Amino acid sequence: MIRNYLKTAWRNLLQNKTTSLISMVGLAVGICCFLLLTTYLINELRYDRFNVNADRISRLTFSYKSADDNEAKTAAITPTAPVPVFKKVFSDIEDGVRIVNYSNMRAAVVQFGDKVFKEKKMLAADESFFKIFTFKFIQGNAASSLSNSSSIVITASTAKKYFGDDNPMGKILKVDQKNNMMVTGVIEDVPEYSQIKFDLMASYAMMPRSLTRAWDSSNDYSYILLKPGADRVAVAKQMTNYITKDRPQSGNKMWFSLEPLTKVHLYTTATYGLEPSGNIKYVYILGFVAVILLILACVNFLNLVTARSAERAKEIGVRKVMGAMRGQLFSQFIIEAGIITLFSIAIGVALLAGLFPSFSTFTGQALGFQTWNLSWLLMALVALFMLVTLLAGTYPSLYLSAFKPIVTLKGSASSQAGGVMLRKSLVVFQFVVSVFFIISTIIAGNQLHYIQSLNTGINREQVLVLDIGGMPYTKIESFKTEISQQTGVLGSTASYDSPVNVGGGYSINTAEGKNSDYNLFVTAIPVEKSFTKTLGIKLVAGSDLDIGDEQQVQDTASAKRRYSFILNETAVAAMGWKPEQAIGKKIGLNGRMGTIKAVAKDFNFASLHEKITPIVMFPEYDWFGKLLIKTSGKNTANTVAAIQAKWHKFYPNAPFEYHFLDQEFDAMYKTDQRTGGILTAFTVVTIFISCLGLFGLAVFSTRQRIKEIGIRKVLGAGVVSIVGLISFDFIKLVLIAILISSPIAWYAMNSWLQDFAFRIDIQWWVFVIAGGTAALIAFLTVSYQSIKAALSNPVKSLRSE
Amino acid sequence: MLSLQHISKYYQVGGNKNFVINDISLDIDEGEFVSIMGPSGSGKSTLLNIIGMLDEPTDGFHYFVDQAVHQLKEKQRSALYKQYIGFVFQAYHLIDELTVYENIETPLIYQDVKGSERKAMVADMLDRFQIVGKKDLFPAQLSGGQQQLVGIARALIAKPKLLLADEPTGNLNSKQGEEIMELFRKLNKEDGVTIIQVTHSEKNAEYGTRIINLLDGRVESSRTL
Ligand SMILES: Nc1ncnc2c1ncn2[C@@H]1O[C@H](COP(=O)(O)OP(=O)(O)OP(=O)(O)O)[C@@H](O)[C@H]1O
Ligand SMILES: [Mg+2]
Repeated sequence: MIRNYLKTAWRNLLQNKTTSLISMVGLAVGICCFLLLTTYLINELRYDRFNVNADRISRLTFSYKSADDNEAKTAAITPTAPVPVFKKVFSDIEDGVRIVNYSNMRAAVVQFGDKVFKEKKMLAADESFFKIFTFKFIQGNAASSLSNSSSIVITASTAKKYFGDDNPMGKILKVDQKNNMMVTGVIEDVPEYSQIKFDLMASYAMMPRSLTRAWDSSNDYSYILLKPGADRVAVAKQMTNYITKDRPQSGNKMWFSLEPLTKVHLYTTATYGLEPSGNIKYVYILGFVAVILLILACVNFLNLVTARSAERAKEIGVRKVMGAMRGQLFSQFIIEAGIITLFSIAIGVALLAGLFPSFSTFTGQALGFQTWNLSWLLMALVALFMLVTLLAGTYPSLYLSAFKPIVTLKGSASSQAGGVMLRKSLVVFQFVVSVFFIISTIIAGNQLHYIQSLNTGINREQVLVLDIGGMPYTKIESFKTEISQQTGVLGSTASYDSPVNVGGGYSINTAEGKNSDYNLFVTAIPVEKSFTKTLGIKLVAGSDLDIGDEQQVQDTASAKRRYSFILNETAVAAMGWKPEQAIGKKIGLNGRMGTIKAVAKDFNFASLHEKITPIVMFPEYDWFGKLLIKTSGKNTANTVAAIQAKWHKFYPNAPFEYHFLDQEFDAMYKTDQRTGGILTAFTVVTIFISCLGLFGLAVFSTRQRIKEIGIRKVLGAGVVSIVGLISFDFIKLVLIAILISSPIAWYAMNSWLQDFAFRIDIQWWVFVIAGGTAALIAFLTVSYQSIKAALSNPVKSLRSE
Repeated sequence: MLSLQHISKYYQVGGNKNFVINDISLDIDEGEFVSIMGPSGSGKSTLLNIIGMLDEPTDGFHYFVDQAVHQLKEKQRSALYKQYIGFVFQAYHLIDELTVYENIETPLIYQDVKGSERKAMVADMLDRFQIVGKKDLFPAQLSGGQQQLVGIARALIAKPKLLLADEPTGNLNSKQGEEIMELFRKLNKEDGVTIIQVTHSEKNAEYGTRIINLLDGRVESSRTL
């Protein structure tokens, strides 16, 4: 019996090649995309979970809010004291580790013999690091590898880079010309789904600050391993009490929190993290997209299969007359659906395998079948198989086998209203989804474009950024003079940090005319006097820093310096002044005393997700980390090459690495852009699947109406009127879909936009374009069929009845 | 073999009952060959479908091999049907996706006949209808007469006691029609299959042992030949 079913199923498949192919391809694409997204999501959700202790590890964050602040600020960086002190004081803490991002401000220059590389991912951590976190040691041992102040553990690929096939153990790596570090361990490369990523992990004891136990100056990432059963929240509370108990809090509030390790990546709101965090919202969005795509593909599949089965009403009637029971018909349809589903899944999985490499590149995560637990994947596929098969098989067998055979034999079942209504609603559903995606993509695209083209108050174009951390200013100055001769270089300026993403929490704690306990948390950045000019930051009051200001801070001992500050508009407003009033006012910034010399027009120095907050720029020539070189943009390659040549002359041992400021700016929106990209890709897929469905239905519907079309033609109907007749039926559905979809899309995208402090307004034309696009695509899809039908010879179609 | 008592079937059209079968009582014995005639729309097909349990009467009593069909559940009815009845249609109604061989085989599959047994029975039937050479062809590759032969072979494969045929020769030329009629007569005489056929042709009707004339859903006349 099964053989007979299989045979019929197979022949059916072959006989309806186009529609079989359409339904299979649609389902395959849907399944492929679903699995692709699921893989991505699994990767996001498994972040950090490879650590055996994952549910006992927490990251320590520090929040503060001064009386003059509106919102609390939470930072992932902490001072040096908490970990060693808390470890001793609280019995619930089993262990703790401080990690410092050695290559934060500038890449470490690491040398072995004649091999010199700039290392951007070098961390230093307490000895306990490898006991708390789980990294696989190839050589060396987890417990003791960082016990010496000159120990360093490297990853397998780093080892390969420096030592080739030689044994790395015991070799000496020279870090920044001064520290000789001995390789005491080699671990497998750190997985992409670890929040702590590194190529080299040095001993924390190599850092001068390991000798201090300070409660201020936050620079470390602190992770705490709690004892089993310990209450995370209670411990954090105790920590807060510990630091606040003997200092009266005059309106200022500060507290510690412990974030579960596994929540850091997706949920944290703390700033200055080790890496830009993911966003649980995007996990939901993509999860939603994945499910919708799968539903869409299944719906499409169902639609086509059932449309076909309506054509087979007669066959079912015949089979019933020959004695088929409903159960037997059910099996037949299930088997048929099963075969198509199986094929589709196979195609889908093959497609998936083919897409993994490029998807991995796209997401920057190593994604593949290995991301899955294979038995889970298998189970998912089997479940998917059964679900789709049942859905696709049940409907026709239940719906059609319920008809009386005499009805189906008369050929009237295929035009039964129920089936048609169902199929039409399914098409509407598909297009609701398609239009939704089109609208979302347009709006997301607009927003991302807006971010890129927004005048952020800084002229980012053609600004070359070089790492100059640790170099004395005199040397920087002569390098600057050297390159200023170069054609194509318009100017250059040094600063502590990149101007598009300034870190650095300071506070203004004395101010003319304010109470003695005045405290305003601000962002501040040491800059060279040419900073605002080079970056095109406008001044609204006062005058720019000049040579006098420079000399003030350069030649004087730091205790006696008088600073000239530039504040932004938001900062002076926060202090209750108008820009003109602010000029000449005396303020103190963490002990640096001076006067406000200029007020700068607001510019964005952090992500556009955030509002512009107060910032202070002040000349301080001891801390420069970045050199920003403004180039003309003409012949950039030549200019860069010339700068490189000069660089090597100045710093023979330092590798030349550069990037452009706008690249850095764009990189801040990588998650947004990636999501935008995924959205675009899947919009195309949804439209594709929906069109497949529409196309399939058009095939059936014209086939069903072939007699009607024939008669109309015999009666003198023209091609245009027939195409219109058939197309309008479908376009109507698309129009309904647009009406349903638009408000949903508006709502969804509006809430997405709320995440951006700087955002576009949703324009009405977006809906017009999206609707128009969907309608046009639908029309083109259907018109192929309807034109074909309209051109067909009526005699033929009438005779076949 | 079967007995219809006061069978009626009507459709509600507007407020009116539109009788298609109007109080028909009819007994048919085993071994009879009945031809039903009457003008178009007189209810012939409807009557045949009721007899064959493909359709239900609105009123009346229906007994088949001593069972009260009107009281049976759907499942029991189709079991009864499977066991006793074969159907032949004017439009053949072969399954396009199956070969001649498979079309004939299908009823046996639904009756859970074993594979080897099926093979023998189908081979037998192919032989008897002299269509062995056509067994691997699809319906579309056959002439109308050949298709109807396959249809009859399929109806007979499960050895029904009652063969119902709704204008079996309606789509055939007179020579093909005659052949089918000869075949029916032989089945009736030699194998004892009870046959009820609907036909428009006086000549074909005469192959039977009784002719029933319908008019407006009533038996207008019944004559035994
Ligand atoms: N679903 C229905 N609703 C209303 N009337 C119906 C329906 N089905 C059949 N009829 C009516 O029943 C009557 C009998 O139909 P039936 O098919 O039995 O006629 P017939 O004698 O077989 O005719 P023909 O020789 O043309 O095949 C017809 O008048 C038809 O209009
Ligand atoms: Mg009829």
